[in-house]
Amino acid sequence: MNRRQFFTFGAGSIAAGALAACDSVGPKSAASLLKFAERKNEGLERWLFGTGSRNRVMAQARLSGRAFPRYFISESVPVWNEAQRGVWRLEVGGAVRNPLSLTLDDLVKMRSVTQKVDHFCVEGWTARAEWTGVRVSELARVAGATSDAHYVDFQSFDSDYHESWDIESALHPQTLVAYGMDRAMLGPGHGAPARVHSPVKLGYKNTKYLTRILFLPTRSGGYWSDRGYEWYGGV
Amino acid sequence: MTTASGPSLGGIDAGGAAPTTGIGDAPSSPRAASRPRRTRHHWVVRVTHWVNVVALGLMITTGLRIFNAFPAFARKGETFCCYPFAGKPIPAVLTFGGWLAGARNWHFAAMWLLFANGLVYLTFIYLHGEWRDLAPRRGDLRDSWEMIKFYLFARPDHPHQGKHNALQKSAYFSMPILGALAIITGLAIWKPVQLAPLTNLLGGYVWARYWHFLVMVSLVLITIVHIIMVFAVDPYSLRSMITGGYDESKSPEARNARPFFWRRPASGRGRSDGGLDE
Repeated sequence: MNRRQFFTFGAGSIAAGALAACDSVGPKSAASLLKFAERKNEGLERWLFGTGSRNRVMAQARLSGRAFPRYFISESVPVWNEAQRGVWRLEVGGAVRNPLSLTLDDLVKMRSVTQKVDHFCVEGWTARAEWTGVRVSELARVAGATSDAHYVDFQSFDSDYHESWDIESALHPQTLVAYGMDRAMLGPGHGAPARVHSPVKLGYKNTKYLTRILFLPTRSGGYWSDRGYEWYGGV
Repeated sequence: MTTASGPSLGGIDAGGAAPTTGIGDAPSSPRAASRPRRTRHHWVVRVTHWVNVVALGLMITTGLRIFNAFPAFARKGETFCCYPFAGKPIPAVLTFGGWLAGARNWHFAAMWLLFANGLVYLTFIYLHGEWRDLAPRRGDLRDSWEMIKFYLFARPDHPHQGKHNALQKSAYFSMPILGALAIITGLAIWKPVQLAPLTNLLGGYVWARYWHFLVMVSLVLITIVHIIMVFAVDPYSLRSMITGGYDESKSPEARNARPFFWRRPASGRGRSDGGLDE
């Protein structure tokens, strides 16, 4: 093999390898490198988060309304069956001094905020809605989250869907347990009776059909985070 | 056409090792000695060039896979003026990552390779002086026009414009600028809340995502033209980007090479599988 043939062969092999790689997830050996990059990115993202930015949407901005997508993992729209499961309640527990068990009425009576914010989906689309609900920081205050609560797990009745967050993002003033959307009560397609909504996390971190908020000393993964999406999912 | 001149005719490949007689410290042949070993591209430039091929290749193919999760730009409930192919995914054969999460994980890892490589390259050409071969100068427009005239057979001889002609210069100068724009627009859609001022500067998330896409398209177009021109005008330059060796007697100026129209110069090797005859 002379040098010309060597380079031709080399270029051919690379091209063949590249073609075979098309649409694949890449070599297994790269997985640890990708994990390493994800951890480093999380560090950078959490440092950026420390600057305390908020999502700002102009007051006259148009809302997505009915075009706001409805995602869930169950086969059909999850609806809380009161006859089978009793009255829906939101449990707030884990690393807290006073665990809470709130009915929707209890939640609505708490100090609420209404905010028009962006929603960023991991897929690349974005939508706008006006959410009404209680800040997670308010729930943490009322429940008396302890200082070893570094993470929060948001659990649901949409099959086994849940996602855990870093405490800083959960306590962000724009992170709500929302029960209202666009000045109406939350519909079943959007996570009724209550869901997490925050512009500081990608859509999949915003657990819908909420049942339990668990303050934790360690992170506990999540439905999509365990399936390959980055755990942090910050925006 | 045998335009090669000087002592290089029939010489030994500049990029190859000089032959030794195997007897003691016998000097290499006078022919080899008469042709100085030339390195057209510094090794840092060569390494960063090929690392960039890998990094950009990963960023573009994984980016297209990410794009396929929502191959459109409009915010939900709104319309977008400027993308006629909304809803049509990119063919899977052009993508890498397998699925959205896989592509994202690669994208957010390879971005550091692209960034670090670009930083090394730019720092190097700044400190080592290579930037002078790329920086725009007064007269580039006129030089570009002369090159276009030459390529269109409106001028008989290849203009002599230094290491790179004016058209090459504009392409090689715009690559790092587009790379920087890719990183800036990428940051704006990665962190539209944490870096809101940047995202707003670009017209908001939807527009920033569009600019990111257009920058990618520009990079792809320039790369395609670059690859075509390497093979159609100066395939000898391929070696200069691998070993660094380059034979000026085979330069486009020496061969009077237009895209696809040039003859293989006479050389030490009597093969004639070069470009097309005029």
